[in-house]
Amino acid sequence: MSSTWIAEAAAVFAKDWRCELRARHAVTTLGLFAVTSLIVASLALGPVGIAPAERIAFAPVLIWLILLFSSAAGLPRVFVHEEESRTATALRLAATPSAVFVGKAAHSFSVLLAVEAVVAPLALALLQIEATRVGMLAAALVLGGFGLAVASTLLAAIVAQGRGRTTLFAALAFPVLVPLLALAVVLTRAAFGATPPEGVLMQLLLYDASVTVAGLMLFPAVWNP
Amino acid sequence: MAAHCLEFHDLTRRFGRLSVLTRVSGRVEGGSTLLVRGKNGSGKSTLLRCLAGLLAPDAGTIRAVEEGRELEGALRRRRVGYVAPDLALYEELSVLENLEFFARLRGVAVERARELADRLWLPTDRGAGALSSGMRQRLRWAWALLHRPRLLLLDEPFQNLDAEGEQALRGALTDHLASGGLAVVASPTPLPLDGGVDELDLDR
Repeated sequence: MSSTWIAEAAAVFAKDWRCELRARHAVTTLGLFAVTSLIVASLALGPVGIAPAERIAFAPVLIWLILLFSSAAGLPRVFVHEEESRTATALRLAATPSAVFVGKAAHSFSVLLAVEAVVAPLALALLQIEATRVGMLAAALVLGGFGLAVASTLLAAIVAQGRGRTTLFAALAFPVLVPLLALAVVLTRAAFGATPPEGVLMQLLLYDASVTVAGLMLFPAVWNP
Repeated sequence: MAAHCLEFHDLTRRFGRLSVLTRVSGRVEGGSTLLVRGKNGSGKSTLLRCLAGLLAPDAGTIRAVEEGRELEGALRRRRVGYVAPDLALYEELSVLENLEFFARLRGVAVERARELADRLWLPTDRGAGALSSGMRQRLRWAWALLHRPRLLLLDEPFQNLDAEGEQALRGALTDHLASGGLAVVASPTPLPLDGGVDELDLDR
């Protein structure tokens, strides 16, 4: 990993954020979807809706479903926009493919972290749940968000090359993301007081490592002819 | 062997059942230009995209040599300078921000971005999305020249330019050829160019 490669990935990350801050597409799409769906669900399932024990079982599922659908709504844009605005050609000719992948995955991860920073405390407040293991909640959000961002980035690169992009993203994303979401839900539930099952943290780490390696290996073939 | 050269043999490219390029061959060496002529739809842009490494030909070979060293496919893609109507830069960024971003990607000093913007009279602070078509063409040229490529691939390089812009870009091309670089230029109409020019007519 050379300093040039790191500089390239950092330049892609910074460029994507600069464009995002001016267009505000991903943050608006993800944030609006996440907050709206969380408030609607909380009104039905909050303190007056279901019992505290049920809330603890249900809240992790709600949080991760919201994060999944938010990312599906906003993250494919990282590549679709490059293709539609025809900037992908300049990027293909100027950058190392793996640096593009890492820069874009880092951007997606940071967007998702920002959404998580809003969604998680809001969910705890609206559902009146206490996180008894704050460190575990943070680990679940960071590791789960990382896997979600990296997998979404690779899938976005694949679907950006084809027609029926939204449908294709959904069809490809769900089988890839089901194991990740299952693990993240279990870990989040443990953060709310359930007994933590053995090895979930390690499995989540392994998932993240696997999807990162797969992304770095597959991306050049997806990105270039 | 020439220090810089680009040669291609029997290039064939189809899109579905439509055959766009059929066994096209050519060669160009440092200091000279290959002018690719042909009607609309004759395959000029497809040929340049294949030479740039943006499209894989169905058959045939491409060999690019820079400083006496053969460039593999991925390296060729990063080394060429490419100007084409379908090349766009980021509309959310200013002219200078675009050029500085690509300078960082290419490992070039960011001062080179301002140097080229000044040379081509580009409005550095204006958003790329707010440029006229002529200014966009100048920006494409500045982008293509950032890393001082030896292989320039130019698809209709002087379209939409005013006299001042065409003069500036012709000057840049002349300097490129004088320094030993080579160029492949695609044009649907006759295009007078300085220096040694070979022609490849895709209508024949």
